[in-house]
Amino acid sequence: MLKELIEYMAQALVDNPDQVRVSEIEGEQTSVIELRVAKEDLGKVIGKQGRTARAMRTILSAASTKIRKRAVLEIIE
Amino acid sequence: MSPLELEIEEKSLEDAIAAACEKFKLPREMLEIEVISKGSSGIFGIVGARKAKIRARAKALPLEPAAERAKEILGVILSHIEVPTVIESEARDDHIYLNIVSNGSGLLIGKRGKTLNALQHLVAKVLQKEVGENLTVYVDTEQYRNKRESSLTDLALQLGEKVKRSRRPLTTGPMNAQDRRIIHLALKEDQNIRTKSKGEGGMRRVVIYPVRKGKVPAKPSVENGSAPSEA
Repeated sequence: MLKELIEYMAQALVDNPDQVRVSEIEGEQTSVIELRVAKEDLGKVIGKQGRTARAMRTILSAASTKIRKRAVLEIIE
Repeated sequence: MSPLELEIEEKSLEDAIAAACEKFKLPREMLEIEVISKGSSGIFGIVGARKAKIRARAKALPLEPAAERAKEILGVILSHIEVPTVIESEARDDHIYLNIVSNGSGLLIGKRGKTLNALQHLVAKVLQKEVGENLTVYVDTEQYRNKRESSLTDLALQLGEKVKRSRRPLTTGPMNAQDRRIIHLALKEDQNIRTKSKGEGGMRRVVIYPVRKGKVPAKPSVENGSAPSEA
């Protein structure tokens, strides 16, 4: 569910939605969500001064709080 | 998105223009109308009657469909957060207003509106990508924006009084563009003080300066309100 959330947001932001890859590494309490996008789309998911990435992380933590989990978003270059 | 240009044929020129306004859901001033054929009612309205034909172009993007789309985007994001919500959308004069009706847990607001601002930023970004235009989007819940505006206005007025008494400039804490705008607007009528934003990025603050008596204040430094992004 958290994975789908990141997937939707990333695909909606980039020029190459077919190249968006999201994987979730589930831990006992913490999940790590890895996001990969096309090289030229990296700026789109990060945003000016990291604003868009920060916004995605904030929304992710709101979603994970609700299901009593912790989730970390890693944007992989 | 809805088409930005339409050709319309009607009995008279007025009817055609009215139909164009109806189609775009925009007032006449917001449309660029090109008359292709004026039309004529012919003799006694029977012989040689020709329809009027116009080409209408929207000067601005119609906000109504964009607001609908913004509502959908926010809806999908919220569907992944396990909280029951209903979204109301409204196309206001120069911005889109989305209101989330929820159970009032504050989860969607976050500390100092952090979550609400994140949702707002994301919806605006996605919409900007789809529409190709930077539209102002406000995301609100439980009257948070109104409450925030009135408490920031109170703060601005208090700081303004202090500056006038001490004749020394004062600086607010770091604020985002939307909050800074509220401070600037709250103090813009006061001739005895002037405001200016200072600093970079997330550390940008508003400085309130006293204006010496008899001196005409320099150009007012109110920020452009239409730009919600970092000024």
